[in-house]
Amino acid sequence: MKQRLNRRTFLMGVAGLAGCARGRPRLNVYNWSNYVAPDTIANFEAEFGVRVRYATYESNEEMLAKVLSGNSGWDVVFPTHNRIQPMRQYRLLAPIDHARLPNLPNLEPRFQSPPWDPRLEYCVPYMWGATGIAYNRSVALAPAAWADLWSARFKGRLTMLDDPEEVLGACLLKLRLSYNSTDVASLRRAEREAIAQKPLLRAYLNAEYRDQLVAGDILVAHSWATTAQQAIDAAPQLGFAYPAEGFPLYGDNAVVLRESGRAELAHQFINYLLRAPVAAAIVQTSRTATANAAAQALLPEALRSNTTLFPTAGTLARGQWIATMPGATQRLRDRMWTEIKSA
Amino acid sequence: MKRWLGLYAAAVYLFLHLPLAILAVFSFNSSRFTVWQGFSLTWYRAIFQDRQLGESAWNSAIIAVAATIISTMAGTACAYGLWKRGSKLLSGSLYLSLVTPEIVMGISLLALFQWSFRWLHWRLGLHTVILAHVAFSIAYVVIAIAARLRTFSPALEEAALDLGANEWQAFRFVTLPALLPGIVAAALLALTVSFDDYVITSMVAGVDSETLPMVIYAMARRGASPVINAISALIVVVFGALVLISERVRAS
Amino acid sequence: MKTASGWERLRAWFLLPAWIWMAVLFAAPFAIVIVYSLLTRGGYGGLGLPWTLENYQRLADPLYLGIVLRSFMMAAATTAICLLLGFPLALFISRAGNRKNIYLQLVILPFWTSFLVRLYAWLFLLRDTGLINTALQHLGLIHDPLPLLYNDGAVLLGLVYGYLPFMVLPVYATLERLDPALVEAAADLGAKPWPTLLHVILPLSAPGIRAGSILVFIPALGAYLTPDLLGGGRTVLIGNLVQNQFTTARDWPFGAAISVGLMALVGVLVLLMLRSEREGLV
Repeated sequence: MKQRLNRRTFLMGVAGLAGCARGRPRLNVYNWSNYVAPDTIANFEAEFGVRVRYATYESNEEMLAKVLSGNSGWDVVFPTHNRIQPMRQYRLLAPIDHARLPNLPNLEPRFQSPPWDPRLEYCVPYMWGATGIAYNRSVALAPAAWADLWSARFKGRLTMLDDPEEVLGACLLKLRLSYNSTDVASLRRAEREAIAQKPLLRAYLNAEYRDQLVAGDILVAHSWATTAQQAIDAAPQLGFAYPAEGFPLYGDNAVVLRESGRAELAHQFINYLLRAPVAAAIVQTSRTATANAAAQALLPEALRSNTTLFPTAGTLARGQWIATMPGATQRLRDRMWTEIKSA
Repeated sequence: MKRWLGLYAAAVYLFLHLPLAILAVFSFNSSRFTVWQGFSLTWYRAIFQDRQLGESAWNSAIIAVAATIISTMAGTACAYGLWKRGSKLLSGSLYLSLVTPEIVMGISLLALFQWSFRWLHWRLGLHTVILAHVAFSIAYVVIAIAARLRTFSPALEEAALDLGANEWQAFRFVTLPALLPGIVAAALLALTVSFDDYVITSMVAGVDSETLPMVIYAMARRGASPVINAISALIVVVFGALVLISERVRAS
Repeated sequence: MKTASGWERLRAWFLLPAWIWMAVLFAAPFAIVIVYSLLTRGGYGGLGLPWTLENYQRLADPLYLGIVLRSFMMAAATTAICLLLGFPLALFISRAGNRKNIYLQLVILPFWTSFLVRLYAWLFLLRDTGLINTALQHLGLIHDPLPLLYNDGAVLLGLVYGYLPFMVLPVYATLERLDPALVEAAADLGAKPWPTLLHVILPLSAPGIRAGSILVFIPALGAYLTPDLLGGGRTVLIGNLVQNQFTTARDWPFGAAISVGLMALVGVLVLLMLRSEREGLV
């Protein structure tokens, strides 16, 4: 018995030591996957003499589940814009000190006062994106609207995203309704559309569709612009379309958690990410659209004028920022999603 | 009949190992997509350059070793105690823990830890992962040792007592050595289960306790590079070698 | 007398760690989950008062009962196929003489690699442009690719692949202890191999078959990764439903209620099994 306890304590001690920093200040950053360049973090560590714990997540919920406890250990996280307000409500966010962010003016004007935080009190926009249709140019008529995804000619070669918000949103837009609709009757109509579409679908895929587009298994996919661009890089016969009926926009923001005791260092990190060369490097490797105007100016011409990542103003006008979903609607949508999947 | 059985076994082994073969082949693919584009060792090189991989592998190793040691000791003791006189309650709950879906186990442990944070000032970390791993691997150890004990005769211990030993000594010098092969097998099982766990670990891991399965999972879900293929191939080779060596040691 | 109480003391000490672990790290968390299932979901994840039975009432919906039924059928099919495929393999290993351990380890070896990664390998094998279809097309056996992926068959394949060892190991354990004299006796009495198998070996390996079936059926009930990846998100099984509640749906209380329901089901099955077996697994 005693022997057992000693061994266990010893092992835990070893584990603790192993996790201990080598004396440098620490910063814990939790970000989306594929949102930094290979050397972004390393350069920050070298320049500021700190050690960064960098981990990634695949969904807001995954991040929120950890962060909601108020004791997660993370300093900087990157929620999507429609989670900012709830996070404020739950008192999870620390205020952003503009004085510590001299690079803030690098952001595009529209991100200097975005609709979800007009004075940037709690967040700093980082990357943004949209959802649309990725397709193989070999199809006779390129899809240009959500309605095209219900066409029988794509039967078995079409995928949709495995995301209730995105799928119901696409259905709503197809019906010329608002992506953010909370009207029960409209949602029911959208649900019927989704169920009608299901026989045409290959699958609901969030990540695997990229490889399948490249390999030619599927011809058309409901896709995020970023992922589509990555696929296009590998297979030039692919293309991306911003649907005519409209499309959802999302913005991922850097926030500092209230529980973090390292606000100073967190601000330095965010300021570092706002540097034009740093942001430009990230765009180059991860094919994401940055909110940083100064960085866009540094990009090579091909990337700067890439309409998949940076659509023209005319196209952008058709976009809709995703709204925060009220609780009651959330319940209804979740049930609908289960019904759609079980159909 | 024996020949057919042998052929059949070969087919089943092929079924079990085909994905591994695919992984190994594509770990040498120069393209990051699943279309063969030439032989290359880039991914293997990338493994050794990736700091996160190294750290997570180290975490996984610490967790697996710690959890295995604890669960093997506790499990062996438990199996022995139950062999002396059973306990429906303990057996039942061990069984339940074994067959509980991982997601339920993970969520309930997360709930427990987060609730305990109000009183104990700690966070999720290596320690919570180790505690969780012991929770689900104890049952494996108990079952393995119990199976072994069923072929063990209590008469041997009685003989030891007759010769003047006390109960603890009887266990220590008679039963324990006989159980050793079973203990090794059980430990190996617990090690495997712990090393490969993703669902439960991802829920109770903290900032500094990312494990190899978590990193692999993140990479794989992103549809990212064949680095994971290379890692998997390496793991199979390393552990396959370990198994072969332990077999040689056991046989000799 | 002294000896009996001596054993009792030793037993008590030996069982203590397991008792503590089960109480703290199994019973307590599960109690917390039960508490969760009686609360209401919070505005944006999380939960709070009031206390309610609503989550359990929601379960009585035909939508969710249909999901439970489908999960049961999938798990039952998995168990049946695992038994069909696994029994001969276990028989082979038990007769393999001194190579037994190597063959056993070969069964477990794939488990050293991440299950997810192996599932992705299956994705590659089963895709339209995957290995199997490409090979079949090259051999001229088929014209268009077979839809091997994103259907119930693919999910079944993945589940059998993942749980086969859990059937093989217990069945092997029973077969290994089988007294070869019994088989010899049957042969001496003039029985051919097949009848011997059916009337001698199979009944004697019943405990192992029972154990293996439970070890396959119940985890298969709660599986979510395999249906998610190989099923293309087209169907919802219990595992997916629970997973969904704790992630995208942000409805922890409902997820907890489903978990409690599933555990109750598992509990009943385990009770039935423990009662019907004279010798349990532990």
